[in-house]
Amino acid sequence: MTRSLFIQSVVFGILTGGVYALLASGLSLYFGVMRIVQIAHPSFLFLGAYLTYSLHNRFDIDPLLTMPITVPLFFVTGMVIQRFLLARLRDENAAMMSVLLTFAIAVVVEGGLSAVYTGSYRSIDVDYARRAFDWFGVRIPRDRVIGLVVAGTTLLVLFAVLRHSRYGRSLRATMQHRDAARLVGVDTDRVQAIGFGIGMSTAAVGGAVLSIITTFFPSGHWEWIAKLMAIIVVGGLGSVGGAAIAAFVLGITEAVVQSWLSPVWAGMVFYLFLFVTLVFRPQGFFGGRLAQRY
Amino acid sequence: MPSATDDSAMDTVTPPVGGPVGSPGGVAAKRRRQAWNYVAVLALVSALAAGPILVTNSYYRYAGVLMVMYMVMATSWNLVGGFTGYVSLGHAAFFGFGAYCTGIIASDSRSSVILALLATVGICLAVAAVIGVVALRVRGSSFVIVTIALVYMGSLLAQGLRSLTGGSRGLDVAGLYTFSTRAARHGAYIVTFAVLLGVVMFLWNFIDGTKFGMGLKAVREDEDRAQSLGVNTTAFKVVAFALSATFVGLAGGLYATWTGFIDPIFVFSVQISAQLVLMTLLGGMRSLWGPVLGAAIIVPSGEFFLVNLPEYHLVSMGVMLGTVVMLMPNGIIPTLRRLWDRRNPPAASIRELAGSVGALDTDDADVERRAGAPRAVRA
Repeated sequence: MTRSLFIQSVVFGILTGGVYALLASGLSLYFGVMRIVQIAHPSFLFLGAYLTYSLHNRFDIDPLLTMPITVPLFFVTGMVIQRFLLARLRDENAAMMSVLLTFAIAVVVEGGLSAVYTGSYRSIDVDYARRAFDWFGVRIPRDRVIGLVVAGTTLLVLFAVLRHSRYGRSLRATMQHRDAARLVGVDTDRVQAIGFGIGMSTAAVGGAVLSIITTFFPSGHWEWIAKLMAIIVVGGLGSVGGAAIAAFVLGITEAVVQSWLSPVWAGMVFYLFLFVTLVFRPQGFFGGRLAQRY
Repeated sequence: MPSATDDSAMDTVTPPVGGPVGSPGGVAAKRRRQAWNYVAVLALVSALAAGPILVTNSYYRYAGVLMVMYMVMATSWNLVGGFTGYVSLGHAAFFGFGAYCTGIIASDSRSSVILALLATVGICLAVAAVIGVVALRVRGSSFVIVTIALVYMGSLLAQGLRSLTGGSRGLDVAGLYTFSTRAARHGAYIVTFAVLLGVVMFLWNFIDGTKFGMGLKAVREDEDRAQSLGVNTTAFKVVAFALSATFVGLAGGLYATWTGFIDPIFVFSVQISAQLVLMTLLGGMRSLWGPVLGAAIIVPSGEFFLVNLPEYHLVSMGVMLGTVVMLMPNGIIPTLRRLWDRRNPPAASIRELAGSVGALDTDDADVERRAGAPRAVRA
């Protein structure tokens, strides 16, 4: 493996890692506020990509400019799903049941997508996606850079909101201890619903990015869920920052292994990390001790 | 503090009434029900095995094989799901693994196929035990994540190890039976899977009454407390997981010899696991008959959608699963049983039974009762 190929794959890994980080942060958010694993997250990522595709084809809107339409739509959908489905599960076995419920949602979304768009591959062809930067002999495709910029900006905004806004403080309080947060006057139901809306919004942004950087097909989301799950477990369930770091680490490793060995072993990277984490540090590398219990 | 609702009544351990053995009708009634279950399982297996006599149409027989195969797999899934409450979406990994084991080991001769199936059982048992030790370190949703990852690891390996598995092109497998017509072969597989179903159901029913089964249920009710009361939870969980995975692996091996071909994308799909969960939940997770009933409902309705509305097959499955989770998480059989109990003297809850068996063994019901007390605080 030559040096330039290595650098090339590291750069590729960072670019993909940005999208992983964005989506994994959404998953961590759901887990933080509701203690559930939202299996349907990547299916909404793909729904977002397909909506972007339709809006682009029908009305000739630039894929990235569809976000003002898709993000609010997904935000509201997230709140509805939280309020009318997940919040109604009975408490006794909510962790398991919510996984199954979101699994069911994922299947419905996938089924809907394949009924409407058929199972074939789709992609969006925009002129800026075809060009690439040349940087010391390393070719960097421009669409991936745009993807990283969009994902990174969204992630930074998300962090800023979580860290510095009043809502962010209530959200973090709810994550840490829901009952205590309620005691000091946090409207935890509302916080949870909005948290879900924000999580879904990351899927909408991710969908727009996904539509320009790669081809997509309805059942493609399963592979994403397995990867994202590995990321949030390695990062530590419920830790948004941990998920982001794990996303970049795994994204880079994946890209290096892919150019070094094969795509098959690149996929295995995620599961190896997952199992190594479980054996040596089940609570993840950055999160608290949540993972063992939930 | 007994309250009016059923749920909270479950939470508090009722002091034994009617002597030291525990609540009347508790253990004795349960033993009786178990004995009858063996008889009923035999009846079901004979009925299923006799099915091919009545049904000669090749397609219906094909659907019949699928149904009995899913009955086997859902009941096996319930060995770990029903007893311990650990929901695994990873059983498709063992289905695929078993299929590939058989497919790779078997050559063309029939005796080699039988040998391959036997080897599959051994290999699955060992592999599942090792995987179980790692996967069962986490609980709840983390466990679900890990099991999903298993399916994708299997799929990647099957496609990656091309020299062994034939890669994404799939693998041809020799048949177990040498009947000339398709219908006859389907009939033979209905009988084969029916026998296997009998074995798995006998095992489930047997475990249900043992101390091992009680330990598993204790894990489901409260794992930490079970551990502190001296149940070796890790060993119990791993054994249950390995048994459960092995039967699914054997079903996968039989499936491979039945269809004569393994498609890596199909055998390693989370949807197979999800079907097992759906069937078991729909029928009733804590019941011997739940998974069987669920499979008897889900497989025919799935086939109906596949034939008549193929584009809505997935949506229909998702909607069914969502509806069951939202509206009937206990399943059909427990719901019916509750209705029955309302008219008849109520059966004891698992908690009471666990308490009374503890009383039998240690003659110290008081310990059980005290251990039961903190539950109300925890909620």
